Amino acid sequence: MATGRYTSDLEQGEILGPVEVVISPFMVREYCHATELHQPCFQDDPQPIVPPSMVHLEKLRLYTLYCPEGCGPNARVHYCFDARWHAPVRAGQTLLVQGLVSRRYLKREREYMDMDITLRTKAEGRLLVEYRDTICLSYREAAKDAA
Amino acid sequence: MDLLPGQEIRSAPRIMTRERMRWYVDALPTVEANDGRIHRGGPTIHDDDDYALGQGLPGIIADGMVSTNWILDLMLRAFGPAVLEDPGALTTKFIAPVYEDVPVTTVLRVEAVAELPEARRRLTLKVWAEDDAGKVLTFGSAAVTLPRG
Repeated sequence: MATGRYTSDLEQGEILGPVEVVISPFMVREYCHATELHQPCFQDDPQPIVPPSMVHLEKLRLYTLYCPEGCGPNARVHYCFDARWHAPVRAGQTLLVQGLVSRRYLKREREYMDMDITLRTKAEGRLLVEYRDTICLSYREAAKDAA
Repeated sequence: MDLLPGQEIRSAPRIMTRERMRWYVDALPTVEANDGRIHRGGPTIHDDDDYALGQGLPGIIADGMVSTNWILDLMLRAFGPAVLEDPGALTTKFIAPVYEDVPVTTVLRVEAVAELPEARRRLTLKVWAEDDAGKVLTFGSAAVTLPRG
């Protein structure tokens, strides 16, 4: 596992994980409380469904593990969330999370990075969620346009 | 619910307050720690004025996942937990910053309805979040499989 690395150091083709993960009911309720997802399937079930949007946190988990020094000199900005789910993920399931830096590219003089993340059951290897996360690495330049 | 292409479902507006932005910032380390206690995040462009100014922004902006989750919330309110069944999809692009105190309305527009075997149907949706002037802030698509009827 890399140490002392920034997110901006990741290179196309790098694979992060797989990492074994169990998402707890507390994690689901806390996330859903913060995002105002108050449905009973998230808040009241003893083994709640994990909202598919929560896959975004698996990217952050991989960043914490593999890029412990953070984002580098510029804040990164999340540009696109793209998730497909094949079955509900339940709190308490043992999962395997893996990330692939599938692409780094320039677009309108800004640098972007795609990471493809999968969530699978550990027991059967069944694919539950596929997620492509796109970030802009050169946020300071992007912010000038946004402001 | 009888759904036809072109039909729109709109949420009530929610104000993107400083508190709502911070709830998300603090949720990330709290979820990560998973110890039953609250943990503070930041400083980020979502919760710290000076940090945001230092990044070239006029003020703090919301994390794009807040509006993404508000879109998911509208999908769940409109169609129920079947939205979370196989196969489903949600894509959002954060095309404009959401500043403090902007009213945000989320919208689903039915693009196509495909009838499936076993009394199910597949909805293809355009989804977005807009401000009170109708400016689109977050834009994307979704697909859900629902029981017919």
